Order: sequence, then C-alpha cells, then structure tokens
Amino acid sequence: MGHHDDTTRVQEHIGDPLEGTQDVSREFMEEIFQDIQSDIRFDHELNGCLNCGICTATCPAAHYYDFSPREIVQLLWTENLEGIHDAMQEKIWSCAQCYTCAARCPFGNSPGGLVMLMREAAIKHGMESAKSVLRPFSRVMLKLISTGNQLSPDMISNDAFPDWGPNICKVDAPLKLLRAAIPVPTLNTIKTAWETNLKTSVELYTIWEETGVLDQLETVDENLFDVIVDLMDEKRDDWDDYLDEQDD
Amino acid sequence: MVDNKNNGNNGNGERFTGHGSEWRDSNLSPADAMTATSWVEAKIDKRSMLTNKDRVHDIRDVMWQLEKEGEIKVHRVGEHNDPRMAKTLYGWDKKIPTNRIWHHKSCGQCGNIPGYPTSLLWMMNEMELEYLDETDQTSCTAWNYHGSGIGNIESLAAVFLRNFHQAYVSAKAEGLPEGYYYPLVHCGTSFGNYKEVREYLLLSAELRDKVKKILGKLDRLVDGKLLIPEEVVHYSEWVHVMRGDIANRQTIDVSSVRATIHPACHVYKMIPQDVIYDDDVLDGNRVAVSTGVMQSLGAQVIDYSTWYDCCGFGFRHIISEREFTRSFAIDRKIKIAINEAKSDVMIGHDTGCITTLDKNQWIAKADEANAGQSYELPVISDIQFAALACGADPFKIVQSHWHASPFENLFEKMGIDWEAGKANFEAYLKQVEAGNQDNLYDPRRRITGGPGYINVEERKKLGMITS
Repeated sequence: MGHHDDTTRVQEHIGDPLEGTQDVSREFMEEIFQDIQSDIRFDHELNGCLNCGICTATCPAAHYYDFSPREIVQLLWTENLEGIHDAMQEKIWSCAQCYTCAARCPFGNSPGGLVMLMREAAIKHGMESAKSVLRPFSRVMLKLISTGNQLSPDMISNDAFPDWGPNICKVDAPLKLLRAAIPVPTLNTIKTAWETNLKTSVELYTIWEETGVLDQLETVDENLFDVIVDLMDEKRDDWDDYLDEQDD
Repeated sequence: MVDNKNNGNNGNGERFTGHGSEWRDSNLSPADAMTATSWVEAKIDKRSMLTNKDRVHDIRDVMWQLEKEGEIKVHRVGEHNDPRMAKTLYGWDKKIPTNRIWHHKSCGQCGNIPGYPTSLLWMMNEMELEYLDETDQTSCTAWNYHGSGIGNIESLAAVFLRNFHQAYVSAKAEGLPEGYYYPLVHCGTSFGNYKEVREYLLLSAELRDKVKKILGKLDRLVDGKLLIPEEVVHYSEWVHVMRGDIANRQTIDVSSVRATIHPACHVYKMIPQDVIYDDDVLDGNRVAVSTGVMQSLGAQVIDYSTWYDCCGFGFRHIISEREFTRSFAIDRKIKIAINEAKSDVMIGHDTGCITTLDKNQWIAKADEANAGQSYELPVISDIQFAALACGADPFKIVQSHWHASPFENLFEKMGIDWEAGKANFEAYLKQVEAGNQDNLYDPRRRITGGPGYINVEERKKLGMITS
C-alpha cells in the first residue's frame, strides 16, 4: 500500500470529507438541528466543551472508524449545521453506545446520548444513511415490535453467525428439546426469548402507536412496517376474541 | 500496556484511527510510552475519574418531592423485601431488595445465555426466597434503540413505566397485595436505560404529561399517578449484597481460579452515581459488583489494563459491523486477559458483553497475526460462576452448553467432572422428551393475566395458594 511522506493515510484514502456531499438547503439543515435541539435530553447532555478530547481518547469506535465524540460535541456546541448534517451521513452510526465518553467527560456531556438524538433525527427525516445502515437490523426490529423481545433462540444459528464457530451449542439435540430442558418455564420457547403474554403485546402496540415509533419504522422501511402492522392486527383480534370469550 | 500493533496498523507505523487527519504517531519507545501512559492509567484506575464532576444530584430527592406534591407515587422497597443497604459512587445509600422479587428478564440472556437467569432463580430457590417469573413483561427495548435509533424517550419511558407497574400489581394475580414483589432487572442495558429514563421522567413535567396519557390508556396508573420505583436494581447488586450468603453455600474450592472482571458499560457508565462502590472491594476504586462475589468465593481476581474498555458489542455492530465487534473483543479484552492476567475465566454481569466475549474467540484463528496463539478464555456471568461454586449442575442449571468459549478448561480447574455432567444431561433430555422436565417453580404461576390465567379462587382449589 502506497504511503507518501506528506500525506496521511486518512487524507490519501478519504480525501476531503465534504467533497461530493449532498447539496442540501440551509432550511433543511436548520430543521434537523431544531429537532435535535428541541429534545428534552439535549440540554442535559450538552453542557459545554473545551476540546480536551478525553471522550475521543477513550472511545472504542475511534480506534476503528473515522469517528470522534469530541467532534460530535463540537459540531453541536458550535451549531455547525453543515458539519452536523455531514456527520449524520455515516459517522454517527460508528458509535458503539458504550457511554465511556459520558462517564469521563469533565463537563458531564454525553456524546453517546447526543449521537442517539442525531440518529433519531436521521430516521425522522428518512435519510438514506439511516435506511441503509438499518437494513441488516430489520430482523431485530421485527422481533421487537411484534413480540416485545429483541432476540430469540431461533435467531442464533451457524448460518446467521458463521464467525462464531462450530460451538453455537455443545450438546447435539434439537433446539426445541434443548429449550424444553431449561428448568425455567417461561424459557421453553424458540421464537421468542421468553413466553410473551398476549395482553403484554397488545399494550406494547399502543405504546408504539402513541409514541410515533411506528411512524419512524414506516419512514425507514415501509415493507417491514406493513408486515408488522399485519401481525399487530392479528394479535389484537386474538385479544378481542379472548375478551369476548370472557364476556360469554 | 495495551498492544495496539495489530489494531488498525497498516504495518508502517501509521494507524488508521478516527482521531483526525492531523494525527501523527509519537513513535515513542516502549519504555517512554509506558511513562507517558502511566499517568493516564493511574487516573482511570481511580474512583475520582468518575466523581470529578459538577452538578451531581441525587435524583431521589426530586422523586420524594414530587411524591410529596402529589405528582407521582413511589413504589418503595418494603421491609417485606428484606432490604440490605449498599453504598454508591458518592457514598449515598442504595436499598437493595433481597426477597419477594419480580424477575425482569433480559431478552439476550433468555434467548442466548439461558443459564444466566436459570442460575439466579436456582440460587434464590436454594435460599428459599420468594419470587415471580411471569410472562407479562416486555424487554426494555433499549438494545434495539441504541442499535437502530428506532424508539424515542417517550417510548422508552412508557415501556419502563408499564413493566414496573406490572411488577407492582403482579402479586394480585396470586391473591397478594400490590407492591408485594419488587422488580429485579436482569439486563445491564435495561438497568442503565431505566435509570436514565427515570431521571428524565423526574426532571421533565413535559415528559411525564406525555407518558401519563399513554399509561392511562393502558390502565397503568396508580391512583391516577405515574408509579416510579424507589430504586432501579440490577441482579448483580442482589448478588453483591448476598455474596456472604452465597459463599456460605459454597461446596467447591475456587482458590486456584484466576478471574478477570469485565465491568459492563451500561451498568456502571450510565448514571454512574447510582452504582455500588465498596471500600472493601479494590479500595473502592472500581464498581464493586462481580469482583465482590468472586472475592467472597475465594477466587483470585486479577487486574488488567483494559478493564474499563467496552466489549465491542456496539448494539448495531454485533449485527452488522461484526469486524469491529470481534476485533475489539479479541484485541482489547480477550488477549489482554490471557496475556497480561493469565486469566482462567472472565466474569461479566451483562448480556451483550458475555455474548460478545464468549462468541467471538473462534474467529481469532482467522487473523494471521494470531498464528500459533490460542486465544481461548471461558466467559461467564458472576451468578453462573457462583452457582457452579455452590454445586449447581453445570448443564441442567448453568446451561454451559450454550457458551462457545472453552468451559471445559474452567470445569477442570474447579474439579468438576464435565464429561459425566454432559452424559447425565444427555440422559435427562430423554426425560424431557417424554414431557417430564424438572422446573424451578410451578409453571402455572407464570401467567398472571389473559389466556391461560388461573384465577385466585381456582388457585386455592388447585393448592397453588396455601394461605
């Protein structure tokens, strides 16, 4: 790999970070910043910044990506609209959400928390970055929104995780039997991590609707949204049937 | 010292990092690098790293004031919950319930590491403690939120309040009073998320108004008010305050075991002021949970330089940026624990960390930089280790077969005949196949409402309720 004395590898391979970025209107960028700033968490998570860099020094994502929590804080603190918009194209998705930055920051900032506000705004505005980044996450979202669980035993397989090696389970038996052998009755399941109560799912759907989560989902993945709405309708019908039976 | 030479190094001394294009390697000698970083290491190893902040408040002061003003109702840790006191980061008291527990499960643990909750329930059975493990609960939804950004503060708050309300009223399904069971949160991310959400709920009238409407629709208010828990309690805190009782039940000598601890980010970096620090555990400089119980059991707890680092889980990364996850897990945690600490086992107290560190060892063989090296380290939760030390079945209870890391090495070090245990378990599977599996509690208790619920009168007839 070539290396020039006066050029860093970052400059050589990435070049001008703003080159080729989308031409977006100032109004749009202001709208995005307004969304971030109006969240009730914003003022708690951003208190000032002296560029000390302790957040970036301790950041796991900064070891591997072109990502710096210090930069995120500075962009928001200085209200750098172009920089904020640019960071929302890719950088914000690098953060590992460990909150080491927040624990260390002398100002009590939470760069990891601010990243979440920016991710929410990226989703709300249907940014392509959010859509492409979240595509592999659709199985988790489907599971979560339809069942209230985020993971299930049938999601853990050699096919899904070939890099985990041969020992997904060290006892050779069908998954259903192995799950039945767990002496906790709520865990004898395959499609959900634990047996979920029908009433719980129906209550959760109300939360998704009332808090705008379904709208978020429709913005980033319309197909997944349609599948989930169908599942929700089915379970609501089941719940209504149960209530009718109780009345009878 | 951390060896970063394989960590994004392109081989010519320049590293590819996110520190900015102006960054240059200092090219320090190893000795000079040690001198330069020793100051940092001395600082990060101290409790003062987390306490050197302005504007720290105890949110419970706000909580009691809001209750006094009639704005909220507080679910207290009652005397019937046999509370024990612990000290948190700033020396504040935290009340940990030890009995009559409502288990708030973790989707990652139940789905992927089932021996984790099973060991906890087994330990409570051994101590003859009361608990309820029921189906009427959702996950906290925070793994998805931190990974995808789908969700928001209102949805997180509504889920928190809904689940904790269910914990509060759950005992009515058994003919017992409200508030009988106190919620114990199994997942570290749930624990951090719920504490953060509780802060925002207590600080923001606007958020309270928004979620109150939703909780009202769900019929999940108490006397028309939001129900807020006095304490948000992680299972590792229960283990910590019960560590003496656990050690009293120990049947296996673990004094030859060299253990490293991986403190979980969402346990001790989110709302750090609410985390247990104990002057008797590592001089109070580190979070006390897990280390405390390992010391009580007599294991050797060995320090290592990257103890503060995350595991690499990343929430999104474990699904779609796996190269980051496995590289970080191997280079910053597993290698260090093996090379520096000569560790026999890494002990964790959270779902994502144990999954990440346990599952991402095999792939290290694919990195030519690791040629000739074997980076294999058993990774297990504190309560699973404690259950093993107290004689729990390594397969039926600890469910070690779901772990990819080489538990066999740990079993041999502890003197556990894992081959006989595995053979017994395989024989037990035939019993399960015939529908005769053993359970830690009466399965009929798991349903407290909706289809399958057995009402109180019927429970009395069936002998499920004796008093």
